[in-house]
Amino acid sequence: MNHKINIFLIAIAAVLLAACGKPAAQVPDQYTQVEEQANIYPDYTGVVVPPNIAPLNFIVRDSLADAFVVQLQGNGVELLASAGKDGVVQMDIAQWKKLLSACKGADVSVTVYSKRGEKWYAYKPYALTVAEEPVDAFLSYRLIQPSYELYRQLGIYQRNLTNWDVRTIYENNREFDNKANHCINCHNYRSNSSADMMFHVRANFGGTVIIQNGKAHKVQMKDSTIITAGVYPSWHPTENLIAFSTNKTGQAFHVYHDEKIEVMDESSDLLLYDVTKNEVCHILRTPDDLETFPCWAPDGKKLYFCNANIAPLLRPDLPDSTRTQQLMIQYDSIYYNLMSVSFDPKTRQFGEPQVEIDAASEGKSISVPRVSPDGRYVLYTQGDYGQFHIWHKSADLWVKDLQTDSCYALNEANSLDTESFHSWSSNGRWMAFASRRMDGNYSRAFLAYFDKNGKAHKAFVIPQENPEYNILLLKSFNVPELTKDSVAISTDDITKCVIETEAENAKYIPTDATFRHQKPKTDAVTGASPKRK
Amino acid sequence: MAKEKPNKSKKDVAKGASTPPVAEKKKRSVRLPVLLLFCVAVLLWSAWYYGSVFHLSREYSFWVADTRQMDFILSCSFGSMRYVGRALLMTYKYPWLGGLLMAFLLTVGTWLVGYCWRLKAKWRSIQYLPALAYMGTVTYLGLDIFFEAETGYILGIPFLTVLVLAICGIMIRSFSRKKVHALFAVPADETQRDNLFQLVVCIVGFAAIIGFNEWKRPYVRVITQLAAMEQEQDWEGIQRVARAHSYQSNRPMACMYAIALVHTEQIAYRMYDIRLDYDSLYIHGKDGTHNNASNMYIPEGSYHGGFSESCMHSCMEQMVMEGPSLRLMKLYIKSALMRGEWELCRKYLRILSDVPFESAFCGKYGAMVGNDSLVNADPEIAKIRLTEPLHDSFESMYQPPLFMGYNLSLVEGRSVNALYNSLCVCLYTKLMPAFLSRLEPIMGTTPPDIIGDGILLSASKNPGLENNFTGLNMRIPRIQSFMQQIQPYMSDRPGHAYELFGKYKGYYPYYYFFGNLKATKKGYTGEATSNSGVN
Repeated sequence: MNHKINIFLIAIAAVLLAACGKPAAQVPDQYTQVEEQANIYPDYTGVVVPPNIAPLNFIVRDSLADAFVVQLQGNGVELLASAGKDGVVQMDIAQWKKLLSACKGADVSVTVYSKRGEKWYAYKPYALTVAEEPVDAFLSYRLIQPSYELYRQLGIYQRNLTNWDVRTIYENNREFDNKANHCINCHNYRSNSSADMMFHVRANFGGTVIIQNGKAHKVQMKDSTIITAGVYPSWHPTENLIAFSTNKTGQAFHVYHDEKIEVMDESSDLLLYDVTKNEVCHILRTPDDLETFPCWAPDGKKLYFCNANIAPLLRPDLPDSTRTQQLMIQYDSIYYNLMSVSFDPKTRQFGEPQVEIDAASEGKSISVPRVSPDGRYVLYTQGDYGQFHIWHKSADLWVKDLQTDSCYALNEANSLDTESFHSWSSNGRWMAFASRRMDGNYSRAFLAYFDKNGKAHKAFVIPQENPEYNILLLKSFNVPELTKDSVAISTDDITKCVIETEAENAKYIPTDATFRHQKPKTDAVTGASPKRK
Repeated sequence: MAKEKPNKSKKDVAKGASTPPVAEKKKRSVRLPVLLLFCVAVLLWSAWYYGSVFHLSREYSFWVADTRQMDFILSCSFGSMRYVGRALLMTYKYPWLGGLLMAFLLTVGTWLVGYCWRLKAKWRSIQYLPALAYMGTVTYLGLDIFFEAETGYILGIPFLTVLVLAICGIMIRSFSRKKVHALFAVPADETQRDNLFQLVVCIVGFAAIIGFNEWKRPYVRVITQLAAMEQEQDWEGIQRVARAHSYQSNRPMACMYAIALVHTEQIAYRMYDIRLDYDSLYIHGKDGTHNNASNMYIPEGSYHGGFSESCMHSCMEQMVMEGPSLRLMKLYIKSALMRGEWELCRKYLRILSDVPFESAFCGKYGAMVGNDSLVNADPEIAKIRLTEPLHDSFESMYQPPLFMGYNLSLVEGRSVNALYNSLCVCLYTKLMPAFLSRLEPIMGTTPPDIIGDGILLSASKNPGLENNFTGLNMRIPRIQSFMQQIQPYMSDRPGHAYELFGKYKGYYPYYYFFGNLKATKKGYTGEATSNSGVN
């Protein structure tokens, strides 16, 4: 009886295997070499990869082929994988690790063989370069539909980039419930460590959730002088402080344009929040300057931010109530500069704002500055106008070299579509960012190598076990943040904090921040705009 | 099968159990296979009568086998039931196929109720009540079964019920060895009276369900038929159905009708063939509050009005709230094709290709990806292209919905079609100054009927206006006569609008004075009319 069952099971397995049409993973004895490179999705050709990354699974697109074999080899180590007609190549993770480990600092040659009828063809091989430096193992991101105004099922997740593990940090209500509906955003960490984390909750259960020492609590930054609450955050690297922008943000929807949405601030200021004392004060509070996207330098002695002076766009003869409309019709004339303000951690006093990059004078606009861990580079997004560059096709990644005072685009990592919401790995050799380059609509998390000479290399989408994942997923990867470790607190504890606890109001401390700077100036020292390559 | 007792008691005989000695009289009595008739009736109801509603429910739904893509459903309560229900609903691509499935589920469920509850012959009519209650609930809910609602329940609930009953039945059969009647045969223990009573229950049940639908929800089938025809691009069919129900008045119907007229270039001739007073619909949003059904027609209106970007906007907002649906994905694909967003099209087509029965759509539009010429050669898209905006602006600069508000403000159009649309929107909103300011390009020509009537109406305040156009003289006597005839009704226009509609159907001056007023007193539903006015 058992024998019959075994035969039956083997027969079923054979039928299933035959149906899959996946050949044995071995290089064909005879094949014809062709000059073209294989059309693979995602595009992993010629990329530099971290030595600890999960396998770069991909799909070979060749409608004429029935089966594929992929051969990866470098430094005497070989990895073979095969695919059926669907072209889905999924590599063994242990063999992949062995290959990368053997090829640190060297190239891996990838050859794709396709079977058409009874004949095998070999595409032109391409190379992967394995970097010496690993990427931080964990990538946090929010998954959200590329929505306009509404939100429903969304969550913050953390992916282990060395394998396929994904853990949920927090998800909002899965079932629709008006009383429980809430949005979560702006997750942020201190110095690439999950030990200190924060994110905002909007609508119901509103507040800012701060997680330290494995415990979560919720605070609210409200005062008549604060525009809304804390928005874009940046943890101070050494003090228990967070710099926030506070923004009154609106959206407008294009009727006939390449881009779909324009997100504009009507007003914005900068705040400093003392986590230990639960106190908040203004860093800058100005009516005609829009300050946003604060970012601390790694030594904690300088705060970078973006600023747009909108005074020239506002007509003095029109009432303040028309401000939104006035800005809306001139949306493509709002330009943000990169600025900085010095900070003394001991006295907690800020200096005078300085212009770091006068993008406005060139008709460009800067957003999301992020300083490299070694303090040498400021990575930012530059677009044609505005600040919500994740919806602008012109948005590219740029860096300012603070040593040479030069600015340049990271052309190798950029695409014709959007790049934004970037972060550094703790060793400064890797950048994670969101890009809409795959379909123009859904942003995906990309990694790019940034070498010792300040040069970026071709970016690649983070690998997935099923390489079709990025096509099938109807959500965007939002704000990818690299960390060395995983979030220690459980999802249940965070949920408890969000749902069951009331936000504690932060005490507002008045400062002399009001009207500290009226107009953005050119460089305070030289009076000139920074050089550009 | 359990063995029957060889000797029947007199009591059994009296009850009509089939025994040879008393069969003489019984043989002449007619006993119908009620369950079989019930099955046929359910099939007719669910495929022929209500099939369009379930078909549209399918379009408002989404299902693929990949559970990761269905996580938005599976992670909710009753996720598995919703998942299975959505899978079964996919058969309603073809209403008769879906109807067969529903008839099967409801019939087997009915049979199992009778078995599991051990219903005696005289109580057997009770077994029909759960299925009738289900059909009654579906009818009562009307548009609410799919609009901003979980479509997985439509067939998920009958499926789960049958599953539970089947398990119960198996257990009963295992332990009690209770006799199982054949599904479609007349049970032996049923008297003619029992049989007749079951038949009466079924007939009354179906009559009540259909009667309620015709009385209280007559618009449900019409709207769903029109929406299905819109997807099929059956512009003539839409006009035929809408005109056949011209006394019904609701915004989804008006929008579908206007879309069909735009595609057949009849907008300036036949717009007022249906009543445009907008009676209240029984329709609710996600939060359970009364809804104006705008999500049923704004994406379609935007797309066909030439606003592909706004169509994508409204599609995405709905997808965020409801999850993906076939209807929204298809609109999104067509809009993306118009915008040349090829990769986005490929993505959605790839996802749609996993949905059962969608290969035709994927094949048709997949062939257009990356090929502008093919896109522009598509008759539907070619017509829409004629009314695309010439310049960019923001949606919020116009009165909503955009496809109306933009046309009210139109100063530069891509074609004469765009101009006619704009003029018709001005007339529809009764904004005559805006109408007059857009007439210049057609001066010296013979305007279409509705625009001509609008000109003649305006001429009373702008003497000589009609002289700028040709062919209007023939229309002057009618408008003069109309103005005289309506005088007695002018003191209470809302009160007389309904009765006058039949007389002046299709005539713009009637609409101008009597149509789309805030409080039309007599509506077919008998329910309070919506308090929204011209939009």
